[in-house]
Amino acid sequence: MSPTTWGWLVLLFPLLGTIAIGLGFRTYSRAAGVIGTAAIFLAFVCSVGALIALLGRAGAHREVVSSLWNYDASAGVDAKLQILVDPISVFMMLVVTGVSTLIHLYSTAYMRSDEGYSRYFAYLNFFVLSMLVLVTGGNFIMLIIGWAFVGAASYLLISFWYRRSTATKAGIKAFVINVLGDVGLVLGTFFIYRHTHTVSFLGSFAAAPHVFHTDSPDLVAGCLLFLVGAFAKSAQVPLHTWLPDAMEGPTPVSSLIHAATMVTAGVYLIVRLHPLFVLAPTAAEVGAIVGCMTLLIAGTIALVVTDIKRVIAYSTMSQIGYMIMGASSGAYVGALFHLMTHAFFKALLFMGAGSVIGAMAGEQSLDRMSGLRKAMPFTFICFLAGGFALSGVAPFAGWLSKDDILGYMNNRGGLYEVLGILGYAGAFLTGAYTFRLIFRTFYGEPCAEARELEHGHLAHAEVHRNPANGEEEDTGVGFPGPEHVIAEREPAMKVAMGILALLAVVGGFVEIPGVDHVLSSFLSSALSGDALAAASHQPSTGAAWIGLIIGTIVGLAGIGVAYRVYISKPGTSAALQARFAALHNFLSHKWYFDELIDVVIVRPALTLGRFAQAVLERVVISGALTGGVTGLVRSGSAAVRRAQTGLLRLYAGAVVLGLTAVVLYFLISAH
Amino acid sequence: MIKNAHAMSALLIAAAHIRGPHIAWAELSPIVLIAAGALIVLLVGLAGSQMVRARVVPALAVVAIAGAMGTEIWRFTYAPQTIVAGALRIDDLALIADLVCAVAALAAVLLSLRARAPRDAGHGEFHALLLFSLMGMAVLVSAQDLITLFLGLELLSIPLYVLCAAEYRREGSLEAGLKYLIIGSVGSATLVYGLALIYGATGQTGFGGIARALATHASGGLLGDPLLLTGIALVVVGFAFKASVAPFHQWTPDVYEGAPTPITAFMATATKAAAIAVFLRFFDFAVTAEHVNWAPAVAALAAVTIIVGNVGALGQGSLKRLLGYSGVAQAGYMLTGLVVGTQLGVSATMFYVVAYLMMNLGAFAVIVHQERVSGSDRMADLAGLGRRSPPLAWSLTIAMLALAGIPGTIGFIGKVQLIHALVNGGYGWLAIVLVVGAMISLGYYLRVVAAVWMTPAEGHGAAAVSGAGAGPLAGTPLGGFAPIAGGSPEADAQAETDGAGAARAGVLERLDPDPELLLVAAVFAALTIVFGVVPGPVFQFVAHAGAVLVGLR
Repeated sequence: MSPTTWGWLVLLFPLLGTIAIGLGFRTYSRAAGVIGTAAIFLAFVCSVGALIALLGRAGAHREVVSSLWNYDASAGVDAKLQILVDPISVFMMLVVTGVSTLIHLYSTAYMRSDEGYSRYFAYLNFFVLSMLVLVTGGNFIMLIIGWAFVGAASYLLISFWYRRSTATKAGIKAFVINVLGDVGLVLGTFFIYRHTHTVSFLGSFAAAPHVFHTDSPDLVAGCLLFLVGAFAKSAQVPLHTWLPDAMEGPTPVSSLIHAATMVTAGVYLIVRLHPLFVLAPTAAEVGAIVGCMTLLIAGTIALVVTDIKRVIAYSTMSQIGYMIMGASSGAYVGALFHLMTHAFFKALLFMGAGSVIGAMAGEQSLDRMSGLRKAMPFTFICFLAGGFALSGVAPFAGWLSKDDILGYMNNRGGLYEVLGILGYAGAFLTGAYTFRLIFRTFYGEPCAEARELEHGHLAHAEVHRNPANGEEEDTGVGFPGPEHVIAEREPAMKVAMGILALLAVVGGFVEIPGVDHVLSSFLSSALSGDALAAASHQPSTGAAWIGLIIGTIVGLAGIGVAYRVYISKPGTSAALQARFAALHNFLSHKWYFDELIDVVIVRPALTLGRFAQAVLERVVISGALTGGVTGLVRSGSAAVRRAQTGLLRLYAGAVVLGLTAVVLYFLISAH
Repeated sequence: MIKNAHAMSALLIAAAHIRGPHIAWAELSPIVLIAAGALIVLLVGLAGSQMVRARVVPALAVVAIAGAMGTEIWRFTYAPQTIVAGALRIDDLALIADLVCAVAALAAVLLSLRARAPRDAGHGEFHALLLFSLMGMAVLVSAQDLITLFLGLELLSIPLYVLCAAEYRREGSLEAGLKYLIIGSVGSATLVYGLALIYGATGQTGFGGIARALATHASGGLLGDPLLLTGIALVVVGFAFKASVAPFHQWTPDVYEGAPTPITAFMATATKAAAIAVFLRFFDFAVTAEHVNWAPAVAALAAVTIIVGNVGALGQGSLKRLLGYSGVAQAGYMLTGLVVGTQLGVSATMFYVVAYLMMNLGAFAVIVHQERVSGSDRMADLAGLGRRSPPLAWSLTIAMLALAGIPGTIGFIGKVQLIHALVNGGYGWLAIVLVVGAMISLGYYLRVVAAVWMTPAEGHGAAAVSGAGAGPLAGTPLGGFAPIAGGSPEADAQAETDGAGAARAGVLERLDPDPELLLVAAVFAALTIVFGVVPGPVFQFVAHAGAVLVGLR
């Protein structure tokens, strides 16, 4: 079969899964999990099929487009239901479906006692479908559709426990910020379309060098607007505030959507549109700088946050900062490589966090956890694997992928070298906050729950409370359910985490400088023709290895600091906190971004909104326009019905009048 | 004696010289099959056994219609042909309209399987009349001649007058038949007067001849000839009657409401398809040279129809009346495709005809069910349908959303095509009227949807509510529409298992829809969605409808 046939099949299975579970979500109980997982697994199989079909073609023929039909082909618009199967999209398909399959598997156990079990899987399948539409779409229209669908799916899943007031608020926040990104994407598309007169990717890319010169104003504007979309979706400063709040969703959702797949859409966007960004270096620099800022800001916040999931969420922001920085600088392969390894180890860390939260009976605060190492050996090992990979320690996956980006940037020189060095500072922070998390959770004196668990009793909360604000949970629809689950006791969770732990260790070996280059040679055909991806920009093997060694040393240094603060000299943390109270306050208020946005945007918008409601809405629209129009239509309706007397003689009269009018018209207006 | 023999042989020789027209049996086969089917059905209807009458007759009718459809599909692959001495033209336009009418007839037979009308009127007679009417449509849509046109129109109409009154013990049915007869006769009279005037002006009865006469005399003044224009005006009015175009629509709600519902379904879809097809053939082929004169008039009629139909439907409590007015509005939409006088317009119109068939038949199947359950077609009786019978409720919902033109349904694609054709043809203002009409139409289509899902059933609802209690909204029978108004999916599911069990076992069991209704409703709802998402096949189906009308832009 051709690659595109496989591509359509990849889309088909999650669609069928969504429909099957969505229509029957009341009738299925356990089956929903099986159907959902099977649908995504089949999509993964088809992604592999697409990969094999693509590999069977020569390098230059690895961009295959297929459209089912035209939505509109008039007036110069070529909106088609179209997919593009090329190395980039196949790579994304594999990552998305592969990680999703494991997370679906994990969810079958984790969500077992939730009342909304089948609704959950319907949403989750819908998310995967949306994400696949996003990454396979062959034109801007499909991209926008997938982009918006993904935002909607994210909203549904963040607010999944809709009786939790914090969850619904977080959902709204995420949705609003994501829609801001959607607007950026749509407007950006318009700027490009204005000049290229096509919405198809390949057509736009082919036309771009002819209609734009380097840094054409419209192109820069378009690319900056694309970046707004990417920043909103990928939680980059200053549009990042929704991501920590999104941790209100079920933990597997955080794992899949807010770590492994959806939030990396911005990276995919920049890589996908690289022929445009190459022509707009100004916009690309903005992307690189914002990515670098995000990786530092998020890294510092992660040092002080005490909610286990939020630490990982800030870490996600920080790691995506690396990817955005890399993709904007031209390290496309590095960005996608890090996207893949990050998907492995970050999904793993979230799964581990889910298991820990299960052991703590729903408690998420690091302050309450300690010494879980003996009680949860499997979770601990997985956490370690994920933690080392995240910190970029040799030979774990994150080591190779992160330094692929940093090595490229240092080699490019100038501004990029500065950003690359700041990236190493970020790596130091990464090691520190990651192992702060691990040391605080798994080391130290075992807490009550850990001791109970060592004796085989899983903690059980009598009254479930919202970890964010202490409100009592509605166990009927607002909580993972009265029973808690830990990986040690659930084969499904164990399998999912085990596979990911393995990948977190060996996943980076596809691309070792001087040894192999599986990923870069696979992606090369999609990136050929891009000056920034040319071999001359790649660091030499020696330079790459020096970078790798520096990277692992920096990561170990971060871990060492964490070790000193939390293990060898406990109490250092409190002392530091007291000494740098102002800094701690600043960081634990997350650099006051929420407050800033509130003052700069939310309050003025509310004032404007109140004015609009009082004047525009009440008086102009509701009063004059709507009232007038409905009044007109109502009286028209009454008139028509009054004419409908049921009396034939009146009908005949109307006919005669109408007939006379028509005949007179013809005779009078003849020419 | 010998003299006589001589005269006789002379006559024979003369007779041999009169050559009858060549009959193209292959092209005529759909008409022949339907006619044969009608006669056989009428004869079988004489059988004494109730079983034979109630079962075999509809089966034979289905066979005849299916056979006709088969031959129509077979003819699709052939080039257009003018047959029977120029009286009929078998081309894509005719075949599409034929197929639409045949599908409508098939659905009408299915819907009337357990209906009262065939029992009252006699199964043989009922089905024979239906088939004759279908045959009239087949003649009408292929008519290439003024005489055939009138013949087809009458063959279509007269059986329908009778069918409307088929439930002759019910006053409403009789009234509908009588009204339709009188108003229909006025329409036919107007039409035949117009045809006569056109013949008088051009000296031709064949459409091709008329078109040629107009083309040759174009400079000589025939274009603005009052005789011809009066004729065209009268023909417009005559067709407008059949397609229920305002202000000649007033019979429509009354007749739709009174007639037996399967017949209403047939009239609403098939008659309209046939009338629109002949509208297209006559105006876009025979008198297309006069486009500049008739187009503004037809555009005005279309605009008036869209507004009157949509506005009139707003306050209706009877579903059949509502669909009657909606049909008026939809006829207005279809006319817009005619106005532009382009191939694009013809294709868009035929696309909409196909879409209209699918959207309406699904809705009528649900109404037939509703009438059997509650004895009336009041919209209020739909309350709780979402809980009683989700498949029917979804079918009706899909039909309504499609008629309103919601994306994802074929109704949306159809409207987009029409708007596309209008904008391309320079009738942007009419496109705006169309959109405004569709906006108004949401006011009544959504009311039906709301009645289906959002209101508790009278009587049964109370049981369900009292049995629940898991949450504040737990008992609300929101059906599958749970997310609306903060309803809670999980709590709802519980309420259903807890409370509705008893009610379901008792009174609701009886209300299970008949399988043939379910079939019709489900099939057409499914097609509405499928072709709304993947309209390619329908596009291909109607693609050549415009091309067969030579002389169009």
